[in-house]
Amino acid sequence: MKYVFKKVLSCIITLFIVSLLVFVAFSLIPGDPALSRLGTNATEQALASLRHQMGLDRPLVVRYFEWLFNALRGDFGKSYSYNMTVTSMIADKLPITLTLMLYSMVLMVIISVPLGVYASYKEGTAIDKAIQIINQITMAIPPFFSGILITLIFGMTFKMFTPGGFVNIKINPARFFGFMFFPSFAIALPKSAMVLNLLYSSLNGEKKKDYVRTAYSRGNKSKTVFFKHMLKNASIPTITFLGMALADMIAGSIIIEQVFGIPGLGRILLTSIQNRDYPVVIAIIMLIACVVIVSNLLVDIIYKLVDPRVGD
Amino acid sequence: MAKLLHVEDLNIEFHDHLIPETVVYDFDLDMECGEIVGLVGESGSGKSMSALAIAGLLSRHDMKKRGTIQFEGKDILDCPRSELRQLQGDEICMIFQEPLTSLDPVKKIGWQVEESLKIHTQLTPQERKEKALKALADVELDDPSRVYDSYPHELSGGMRQRVMIAAATIGNPKLLIADEPTTALDVTVQSQIVDLLKKINKEKNTAILFISHDLSLVSRLCHRVLVMKNGYVVESGNVKEIFESPKEEYTKKLIEAIPKCEAKPDEKDDEVNMVEVRDVCVSFTRKKERVDVLKHVSIDIKEGEVLGLVGESGCGKSTLAKTIIGLQKPDCGTIIQKYPNTQMIFQDPYGSLNPARKVGLIMEEPLRNLTDMSPEDRRRLAEEMITKVGLTPEYLSRYPAELSGGQRQRVCIATALMLKPRLIIADEPVSALDVTIQAEVLKLMDKLHKDMGISFLFISHDLRVVHQMCDRILVMKSGEIVEEGNRNDIFMNPKHEYTKELLKSAGLTNIFV
Repeated sequence: MKYVFKKVLSCIITLFIVSLLVFVAFSLIPGDPALSRLGTNATEQALASLRHQMGLDRPLVVRYFEWLFNALRGDFGKSYSYNMTVTSMIADKLPITLTLMLYSMVLMVIISVPLGVYASYKEGTAIDKAIQIINQITMAIPPFFSGILITLIFGMTFKMFTPGGFVNIKINPARFFGFMFFPSFAIALPKSAMVLNLLYSSLNGEKKKDYVRTAYSRGNKSKTVFFKHMLKNASIPTITFLGMALADMIAGSIIIEQVFGIPGLGRILLTSIQNRDYPVVIAIIMLIACVVIVSNLLVDIIYKLVDPRVGD
Repeated sequence: MAKLLHVEDLNIEFHDHLIPETVVYDFDLDMECGEIVGLVGESGSGKSMSALAIAGLLSRHDMKKRGTIQFEGKDILDCPRSELRQLQGDEICMIFQEPLTSLDPVKKIGWQVEESLKIHTQLTPQERKEKALKALADVELDDPSRVYDSYPHELSGGMRQRVMIAAATIGNPKLLIADEPTTALDVTVQSQIVDLLKKINKEKNTAILFISHDLSLVSRLCHRVLVMKNGYVVESGNVKEIFESPKEEYTKKLIEAIPKCEAKPDEKDDEVNMVEVRDVCVSFTRKKERVDVLKHVSIDIKEGEVLGLVGESGCGKSTLAKTIIGLQKPDCGTIIQKYPNTQMIFQDPYGSLNPARKVGLIMEEPLRNLTDMSPEDRRRLAEEMITKVGLTPEYLSRYPAELSGGQRQRVCIATALMLKPRLIIADEPVSALDVTIQAEVLKLMDKLHKDMGISFLFISHDLRVVHQMCDRILVMKSGEIVEEGNRNDIFMNPKHEYTKELLKSAGLTNIFV
């Protein structure tokens, strides 16, 4: 329990530091939001009054704490480009991106874990070799390309979904999840190959360990040795990788959203960066940071549950 | 009465290369109930292979076994694993060398001790727990219920080996196979484990097949002994007969390789200190608790002497060595060295050489870092030094993986010689080596001491080795030097209780009387 508390505390501190860095960085980047909004023909006077109106003439420290205080209550300020609050702009996009990410995560585990375990259990057989070959190929394909391939094969050829035909969850949940399967699969595929490979080689590594020999010497069945002793030990490095993969998936989903035409965070992030709409960009970066940090926290907690040697 | 174990003409072959390699030839062994048989030989002699075959744990595809292994009349060499399983962990149990890695790191001790009961009996969880607690108490572990709920990493090496024994004996097996069960342990713990095995043998009439390369332990524990070399049993018979009148050359060599403790005259030196350590303290913070590793230690190393430093693991020997050489900063106290370039040799010749670099490059490294010698001069010096340690210059272009353990330790010594040190600190330099190779490396160090006048600080837990090598001895316990004296004083007339205890567990009491 103390372990969890410590981890949560360090997460909060990390988030605080990230927010400070991001806020300061975007204030120091050259480029004046007021100027970009009014255009180069604007008068000095108009610019100054807009800057005052946007609060840009106040000291950085004051602006940061004001932003932080509001952000903690869920208010990320107003978009520079659109006459909307950042929160309302993001609110309906965030669940889409999160769904995409979690969906990919689930698919990744469903694909990689059973196959990795099976391949290692059947080490040296034809089926093991077949899994290895397919795995090598999949690992080399980047998500955006697998996205294009999936669109081509499942969308255009087999007509299993309509490319670009995103359906909102509120309109038709079944079709929403049906459509989302394909982009999620595109993200999950190369990552699954990596998880499979890692789990496979750590399982094979465990086979040579002394405790496995001990387990056999007690008269265990091969199956029991494999599933009761080796699997838990081999899962330790895999869990670490799952945490990293989860953080990486959010980047994957931003690209995949473009390929499949999904109105998620990816699209607003790109347009906001182009328009120097900093409040939106900062808010999205903070959300991504939150997701990454929380997923790492989860990994740390799972890690502790699996491996008694971790931190005391 | 049928024999407990009958092994006849056991041959084990590996088929992982083009030409099959036989590792065990015509191995014969008969064991009765309650008998303790020792199996000795160097690593690679086939003793572990034979033992694993008897336990039914050699089942690799690239391995062929021929001959007969019968346990209570039942043939177990060719029977399927489903039948073999009924015996394993129930009638035949095993203890392994490495108690750290032989336990599953993510399962609680209790679970692991009970495991064979779960497989072979119909006991309820409550009954199993009772039996496990009793087994843990039987192996003389304090507080069995705490150990029951612990994980392996929370226990010391000796405790883990006791746990292994508890797990192996919980179902009262008829045959216990112990594969080098004490090699990885401290000398005092070794002796306790041997006593424990003796007790189990006496109380439960368990037959024990004890595999070891330590002949002194074998002579204390076993009734009969088999000596193996290159896959052959070269000699077998009663322990006493073999030790008193060995017939085979190899057995004689093995017995001779046990460092002897003969009274040697103390040599008087000209008493010049080359290293003065004064009042040195070192502490670490572990889990927010301060651990004092060295407590006001003061020692002198005299010119031209071989100084022994003995004590159990964790007593601060290695920390003291590191402090002298400057790898560890002391909290307080001073260290004065008369000469620069003091070098260190470490215990594990496998781990201390970078596997990705050739020997020549490894040896030249200190020169590249600390001198501006030309590459040709460096190479020439490396050739000179590798010859000094008894290898040829061809070895410079090999990788560490292509060398044996003894050769690697020679390379480590040659590397230490590159900077022409006056003092070499050797931290357990031979404890990872086989007994005959141990003797060769010790001989080499003795030669370097005599020919080149190099002083050694010799750290070891093996008192026999220390007696053979050292002029003066320091005994260390929990960060303090408890006794200091000339070799003969320490061995013949120990004053401190701890020194007496160390000598006793090494089986060295009354050796000169």
